[in-house]
Amino acid sequence: MNENVLEIKNVSVVFDGFRALTEVSVNVKRNTIHFFIGPNGAGKTTLLDIICGKTKKTYGKVAFFSKDDQEYVLTDMKEYKIVGVGVGRKFQVPSVFKNLSVFDNMELSLKGNKGVWASITHRPTREELDSINETLELVGLADRKDVLAGALAHGEKQWLEIAMQLVQKPDLIMLDEPAAGMGKPETFKTGDILKSIKDRCTIIVVEHDMDFVKQVADTVTVLHEGRVLMEGSIDDVLADETVKSVYLGRGGERDA
Amino acid sequence: MKKAVKDPKNITFALIAVILVCMPLLYTAGLLKSTMVIFLGKCIAFAIVAIGLDIIWGYTGILSLGHGLYFALGAYGMGMYLKMQATGGRITDFMQVGGLTKLPAIWKPFLSLPASILMIILVPALLAGVIGYFSFKNRIKGVYFSIITQALTWAAYSLFIALSPYTNGNVGITEIQSLVGSVKGKANGGNLMVLFYAALVLLVLIYALSCFLLSTKLGKILIAIQDGENRTYFSGYCVSRYKNFVYILSAVFAAIAGAVFVNFNGSITPTQMTISYSVTMVIWVAVGGRGTLVGAVIGAFLINLCEYNLSSGSLVEIWQYVIGILFTLTVLFFKSGIVGVISEKAAALRRKKKMKEAEA
Repeated sequence: MNENVLEIKNVSVVFDGFRALTEVSVNVKRNTIHFFIGPNGAGKTTLLDIICGKTKKTYGKVAFFSKDDQEYVLTDMKEYKIVGVGVGRKFQVPSVFKNLSVFDNMELSLKGNKGVWASITHRPTREELDSINETLELVGLADRKDVLAGALAHGEKQWLEIAMQLVQKPDLIMLDEPAAGMGKPETFKTGDILKSIKDRCTIIVVEHDMDFVKQVADTVTVLHEGRVLMEGSIDDVLADETVKSVYLGRGGERDA
Repeated sequence: MKKAVKDPKNITFALIAVILVCMPLLYTAGLLKSTMVIFLGKCIAFAIVAIGLDIIWGYTGILSLGHGLYFALGAYGMGMYLKMQATGGRITDFMQVGGLTKLPAIWKPFLSLPASILMIILVPALLAGVIGYFSFKNRIKGVYFSIITQALTWAAYSLFIALSPYTNGNVGITEIQSLVGSVKGKANGGNLMVLFYAALVLLVLIYALSCFLLSTKLGKILIAIQDGENRTYFSGYCVSRYKNFVYILSAVFAAIAGAVFVNFNGSITPTQMTISYSVTMVIWVAVGGRGTLVGAVIGAFLINLCEYNLSSGSLVEIWQYVIGILFTLTVLFFKSGIVGVISEKAAALRRKKKMKEAEA
């Protein structure tokens, strides 16, 4: 099996002349927690958009290797097909289906036939129900199953969304600022959740909170103005002078 | 299943159905005029189209302002069959006036009832399928889709008027009797009853089918699409296919409604294809309460009953204003419509009761 789950090769994105990403090449190793950090406007979210098919690349290629060692060129696929091969995405703004219950949110996220006819005839199997319950247990929402997702607290919505990704049994999940708006204890719990799922799938995270990065990151890629500035362990990154100047040079953004 | 029986919305619908069952009986007892029964029959048709609109608008969040088109297509289909029954399959007057010497090919399927029913369902389904395919695949949504549906309805309206040798233009298809014969007057009371109950059965079937569909995962996906279309794509669903499916489904419901309507109305004109007629249908759903199914039924009956009773005499001129104000008020202050307001109040009452019990 390829040890990389994702190979991003020379990806560039140009919006009306503005270069959001320039020749970004990154390999993401299987079953690791890989962070993308960088100041605002560095292109982190754009990179996730490229991987999940929301934005089209201008140049380059993103290849994804599934567990059965099949290669998929994500940059040529529609977003709902990308989900189908095992790449999940959690957006920056919590986007759960607020008019559906927590359980229904999970049911819709299950892997399986997503056709119209199947949606009418299919009833969740014992296994699927177990998997929903188990995942909700993992993120601590097991007793909130029948609550409308819109009524959940902010942190709970974030966890539900992570759970929705997990129940699809993806090979790779991407989380855009999963700890945004969370307090310290909630952020720490989120980190614990991520660590406990690492052996099942690869996790890509975009995050600002450095304590959170320190808690869980295996590899950190620093982006700056659409380019890869450096890559390494969190300690290497924090010790690097250029990284410091990039952050501090922009007025010491956040506590980073 | 048990849950469905206990649902207050379904109980309300059952109540409405029972009341409707009694209407022809009141008529035979001489307590109700036949015109009233005919009018209620039309309301049943309106309720059917409203259910379809509620599925697409209330649940999925797609506002179609062109369902009058499908309603009219269904009505014309049935009207053409009934016209052929009236003329004995011969060429009609308006065709001769229009210079035709033979029955046009487009009228041929309407010589037989099964073929007509097939056309009534297939033509609107196909049209909706094509319109939906291109709109939804290109991710046209919101007000843009509404405008497209309006424009197409207008185009179809003009087309039907222009093709007067085939459609009898402005006048439409008139001088027809229902599927079971004339329903006018005391002598045809039996026919009226048969027709009324047949329409009622159709309404109940369509309501039940809709309830079933919405109770499956499909229903949840539709709500999900309204909540967050992009998110639904990223959950792995091809949203455009779902949208197209409900669009076709609601178009077929509208066509069936049109076919029922023409039986009671005894004629069909392009008026039923105008934009204002389509908008009126949306108002029924809004006032009754969107996203509840039974709200659509209640809205269709209530507004039409008001119109029937109020729009005689001096009120006829201001009726359009009354309905406009009603719609504005609903949208501004009672977004969830009649059914929504009542169920919110009921939920609040229940909470209060629980609190009191907890205190005691």
